[in-house]
Amino acid sequence: MKNQVWIAIAMLSLGALATHGQSAQKRPLVKADSVTFLFPEQVTVSAGKPSQVELRFRVAPGLHINSHTPMDEFLIPTVFSIPEGSGARLESATYPAGIVIALPVDPTTKLSVYTGEFIIEARIVATAGNHRVQGQLHYQACDNNECLPPKTLNVTMDVIGK
Amino acid sequence: MRFIPLRRNTLVLGATLLILAIFAWAGWANWEYRRQQAERLLANAGQGELVPAADAGTPQYVSPLEGKAAPAFALVDLSGKKVSLADYKGKAVMINFWATWCGPCRIETPWIVELRQKYAAQGFEVLGIDTEGDDLKPDDKTGWAKATAAANKFATEEKIPYPVLLDGDSISRDYGGLDNLPTSLFVDRKGLVAAAQVGLTSEQDIESKIRKALGE
Repeated sequence: MKNQVWIAIAMLSLGALATHGQSAQKRPLVKADSVTFLFPEQVTVSAGKPSQVELRFRVAPGLHINSHTPMDEFLIPTVFSIPEGSGARLESATYPAGIVIALPVDPTTKLSVYTGEFIIEARIVATAGNHRVQGQLHYQACDNNECLPPKTLNVTMDVIGK
Repeated sequence: MRFIPLRRNTLVLGATLLILAIFAWAGWANWEYRRQQAERLLANAGQGELVPAADAGTPQYVSPLEGKAAPAFALVDLSGKKVSLADYKGKAVMINFWATWCGPCRIETPWIVELRQKYAAQGFEVLGIDTEGDDLKPDDKTGWAKATAAANKFATEEKIPYPVLLDGDSISRDYGGLDNLPTSLFVDRKGLVAAAQVGLTSEQDIESKIRKALGE
């Protein structure tokens, strides 16, 4: 009798834990953003002179975005820009080379993509003073099976021209 | 000797309370997870983020439209002709939403072309709906011309024999947002949604859904 009680208790405990564990295993990963701007939030540059600023971004796990030079003309490249009137302008941007991948279902088609963290080296020219610069990163994200519409991420940073 | 039964009872009581606590914790954790998930889905409803499957298998999509009448629409095709879903009454129709920038859409297009040829004689048709102009304003003539040219080029390169309709985003709300591409709905001869698919699956999977729409 004593053993039966303990066995019943153990089974009930395991059942409760298994029920919770099962729901945790099936938990989908919902991403708020496919790409996140990490830093810098603030940079100091020489006023009137081109200054190099490293912009670091992160692509959400499980996703990829096209590199700046995708391998297919239909694919949308990742492009950083600074709209006019921000107090700073983008002279040029150097993009990292993409990682070449192929989707599991079609190993013959190669894609040039960014995954994880990547850095864009932007050469920014700012006038003297403090500027709240709102750059934009245009990108288009997919995983191995689906794609999301193109998006524009706001890249906000304080640029101090001295 | 007299303390032994008491101690045993205490142990049983303690274990029972522990079990109840575990159940309560599991219930709370489950409720909390569902609450957070609902909040996230609500927050992301307008953004259309990907929700990758937690397991390695192909996620099976169940559309809330299944079993219901496919929402009516009339869109212009690549030649400028107006095409409506009602034109295909009595046929099984695969409504395939795609875009030229969507790699998985490009992979599945030859499968769809092949299956369309295979089942056309049985009363099956495909309507390819391009959602190219997702971020275009209605008055952006240059943008729309570019999008149309891209869709036209894509359709030519892929030798698409079925109607390719433009401005799919104008009907996206009726079809559940269409945030992830490719998305397909399989409409039976009565005009009811028999099956749906989001994301790239396989030619076999698409074929099974076509057969379902055909009533086989």
